[in-house]
Amino acid sequence: MLLVNSGSRFFKALPLILLLLLVSACSEEKPKYVNMQHRVELAVPTPPPAITYAYLPQYSHTVSFRRHDPLIRYLRRETGLNIRQVFPNTFDEHLKMVEQGKIDISFSNPLVYVRMADNHGAEAFARIVEPGGKAMFRGQIITRSDHPEISSIQDCRGKKWIAVDRDSAGGFLFDLGYFMDQGLQATDFSEISFAPGPGGKQEKVVLAVHAGKYDIGSIREGTLDVVRDKVDLSQIRVLAHTPWYPSWVYAARRNLDPKTRGLIAAALKRLDPSVPEHRVILAQAGIERIIPSTNTDFDSIRDLVNKISRGRHDKTLP
Amino acid sequence: MTRLSLNLSHLRFRTKISLGITALLVLFGLFLGTMISTIAAESLRQESRKRGVAITRNLSYRAAEPLLAMDFLRLKNLVDDIRNRSENVNYVFLTDDQNNVLAHTFSGGFPIGLLKANTLGSNRPVHIELLRTDDELVYDCISPIAIDGRILGTVRLGLSRASVDKTIGKLFFTTFALTSGAVAIAFLLASWFARTVTRRIKILKDSAEEVIRGNLDIQTAPVLHGKCYESVPCNLPSCPARGDNRRRCWHLAGSFSRDFQNTENGQSCLDCPVYRANRGDEIQDLSEAFDFMAVTLKGYIEDIREAERLRSKQEQLLRTILNVTPDLVSLQDKDLVYRAVNKAFCGYFNRSEEEILGKTDFELLSAQQADHNFHEDQQILKTQNHLSKEIRVPGRQGMRWFHILKVPVYDGEKVEGLLLTARDITVIKQYQEQLIHSQKMEDLGRLAGGVAHEVNTPLGIILGYAQLILEDLEEEEHADQLMEDIRIIERQAKICRKIVSDLLGFSRSTESTMREVDLNESIVEVISLVGHTFGLNRVRIVQDLDLDIPPIEGDRERLKQVWMNLLNNAFDAIGEDGYIIIQTKLCSHRRRVVITIADTGPGISTRDMNKIFDPFFTTKSVGKGTGLGLSVSFGIIKDHNGRISAFSPVPPEFLKRGDHSLIAQGTGTVFLIELPLWQEELPEDMCEATLDLIT
Repeated sequence: MLLVNSGSRFFKALPLILLLLLVSACSEEKPKYVNMQHRVELAVPTPPPAITYAYLPQYSHTVSFRRHDPLIRYLRRETGLNIRQVFPNTFDEHLKMVEQGKIDISFSNPLVYVRMADNHGAEAFARIVEPGGKAMFRGQIITRSDHPEISSIQDCRGKKWIAVDRDSAGGFLFDLGYFMDQGLQATDFSEISFAPGPGGKQEKVVLAVHAGKYDIGSIREGTLDVVRDKVDLSQIRVLAHTPWYPSWVYAARRNLDPKTRGLIAAALKRLDPSVPEHRVILAQAGIERIIPSTNTDFDSIRDLVNKISRGRHDKTLP
Repeated sequence: MTRLSLNLSHLRFRTKISLGITALLVLFGLFLGTMISTIAAESLRQESRKRGVAITRNLSYRAAEPLLAMDFLRLKNLVDDIRNRSENVNYVFLTDDQNNVLAHTFSGGFPIGLLKANTLGSNRPVHIELLRTDDELVYDCISPIAIDGRILGTVRLGLSRASVDKTIGKLFFTTFALTSGAVAIAFLLASWFARTVTRRIKILKDSAEEVIRGNLDIQTAPVLHGKCYESVPCNLPSCPARGDNRRRCWHLAGSFSRDFQNTENGQSCLDCPVYRANRGDEIQDLSEAFDFMAVTLKGYIEDIREAERLRSKQEQLLRTILNVTPDLVSLQDKDLVYRAVNKAFCGYFNRSEEEILGKTDFELLSAQQADHNFHEDQQILKTQNHLSKEIRVPGRQGMRWFHILKVPVYDGEKVEGLLLTARDITVIKQYQEQLIHSQKMEDLGRLAGGVAHEVNTPLGIILGYAQLILEDLEEEEHADQLMEDIRIIERQAKICRKIVSDLLGFSRSTESTMREVDLNESIVEVISLVGHTFGLNRVRIVQDLDLDIPPIEGDRERLKQVWMNLLNNAFDAIGEDGYIIIQTKLCSHRRRVVITIADTGPGISTRDMNKIFDPFFTTKSVGKGTGLGLSVSFGIIKDHNGRISAFSPVPPEFLKRGDHSLIAQGTGTVFLIELPLWQEELPEDMCEATLDLIT
């Protein structure tokens, strides 16, 4: 009887069990219908006219954007101008775009500026004070902490060197000038390579040295802080610092409306690290503050360029 | 559902087990398969979505640089690369922060409906929307291209679900194929398992049927593996398990196994090699118990059969007693319904036992009698006192007397019925009446004897003086008249003396002289005395005397008196022109003599027949008989330890014997006297001649 009763209850519950099974098997989100047959040809959108702002691509575009977007938004607010950041892929492209007027405001290293100023009529109107409080910056020569053969700058002879870019100030030219001052010519290295582009070149140098692919690397001072999250810095040793050179510079392209340049220069000048909002903007951009500047502030750079140019004429430089 | 349950209950147990396990496995398999498949399918879809998320996020990361650079070529290469390298990616496209499509993988135009089909979620980095196109289902993933929270654009990726669904289909198929395989294997295993169980249950069932058929000599449990007395060192030839190859020793009372755990250093049956070799599962235990039960049952049944046989014998005996007894016996329950009756009871009411049992007096007797019985019976049941009474009821052969005894029947202390016994006491009643009558006659005889004794002396004086007077008168003349008167006195005195003598003889007051007597001679003497007188009235005496009769011990004179009385009675009955046939015969086994005296008279009426031996009973006219002749003869024969009886008319059987053609059919009287050869009690069995008369 128990069997019949329990069996009867089981048979009564059977449809419910099967229903639950079916429900559990069929429960799923409902799809949204999209008509894929209705198609249109789309044109590439043309950006509206704007003051273009470019940061010399020593870092990746993302880093460039991250650093300067708050500053650009500040400038938009302060000047009322439609300022838009553009991202040249290489230094040459940056120079070319300045030359072509595609970059109105250039934030570049002093070496590039000297070339832009001397060759394309760009004019400096402000330069930055580095986070260390100096309106100067320098390069660093790094190696692995455990490199068995390199303990001094002279040990770099015959080693493989990776630099940021052929036109990089802190990442190559300052360092090359320093080596030349130390009696080491470009030909003394077994290999001089440049970080592959575009973007993120400073980081790539640190990574290449850290990976042991190259014996030494040359970077702009401050890069190690940027890659702190990506690289174990205890394995990196700074072998030497280059002399100080004028820091990064804001330059207006040739024929930029002076009023526009003045608005932007004034806005930049107004950035006060004591103002919390400004401090955030400046910190994001890796700038202590911005001070006015003129073309003559970069003569020391021109001297370096000349020294290197001679080397290039001697074909001792890559 | 009830019908299904009924049909299920009709299925064989083996089928039920197989079906049950299969059904459970099918359901379990369906449930598990469905659940696993569903979970796996959901997991696959989830993985597919995660893959979409991963690709989309990766793409959004990679797209940031070219997007910032507005490098459309790189963007195009990027989406094409993703589209080509990643499986199941239907489409990829990028938009800027104004939702303008910057690059896409579609050829032949962009499906504009797709642009708004999915939007960024509020929190999640990637939002997935399931889209249905005309061909298939697509997971559409959207992810922002953002730097520090600043959204530069979006990445859209369409991941086809077809391959996932195909994989899920394969998974479902594989799962259900495996489930089906498992069910099939399980069904086979269940069938095998069920067969092993049902085979033994069938043996049990067959054994049970054998038991039902009465065969208790069954073997349900498996045959023993080896003999216990060989496995265990046992030197007990008297152990019941020795030689028993059918039952486990631990089931046998008094076997060595009972003592095993106590004697073998605390070992239990579990350590016993016999137990380990022969123990089984629950069904075997059941079979063994069943066999043991059958053996026990067999013993019980034999006991019961013996008891039943005994009971039946007792019952038969009791029924025989009840049926043989002439008493009417019945048993009524407390509702006075007849529960048992004997044959005499049935015969009295002229009904069969079946017609009486289960009925009450109201259905068997008249309403008045039944009502009377009912109240009487109720009284007995209520008072619990028995009833004993004698009743007279009319019967087919006249009124009959019954002695009724009603006794309450107890079950413990409670009255459960009524037992009735009714005994026909008509004969006893007649004997009682006869006894009373005999007692009266005896008293009368004694009285008469006393009177006769007292009268005898003065009567002798009267007779003596009358004779003296006669002697004196013989010498006188002219005394003729006086002499005649005196002679009348003498004659009447002699008659009185005869009467007194008869009375004294009747009352046995006379002395008897017992000596050897020749019966035939005594009879001939009497015949010679009366033959002439009888001949005058043409009454002839025919003699048929057995010459082999030896002398018997008796009183010759008194016996002659008997012959004389009987011959005179015969003569008086005939009157004139008739015959008296007197016959003597020695009984075949020579222990008695039978004398018959038959006449051709008119016979004795039935009414008078019972009184002829009573004193003073006579059919003769006044002055011709005293009524004492036969009663005196009865007394004389009785004094000789004999019997006298009379039959009238003469029985035909008597007439057939000898030359009795003189006696007409339906007339006459025959007296039959039986005398023992010696003074001993007459044998109870009747003589052949007597039998001839009365049968």
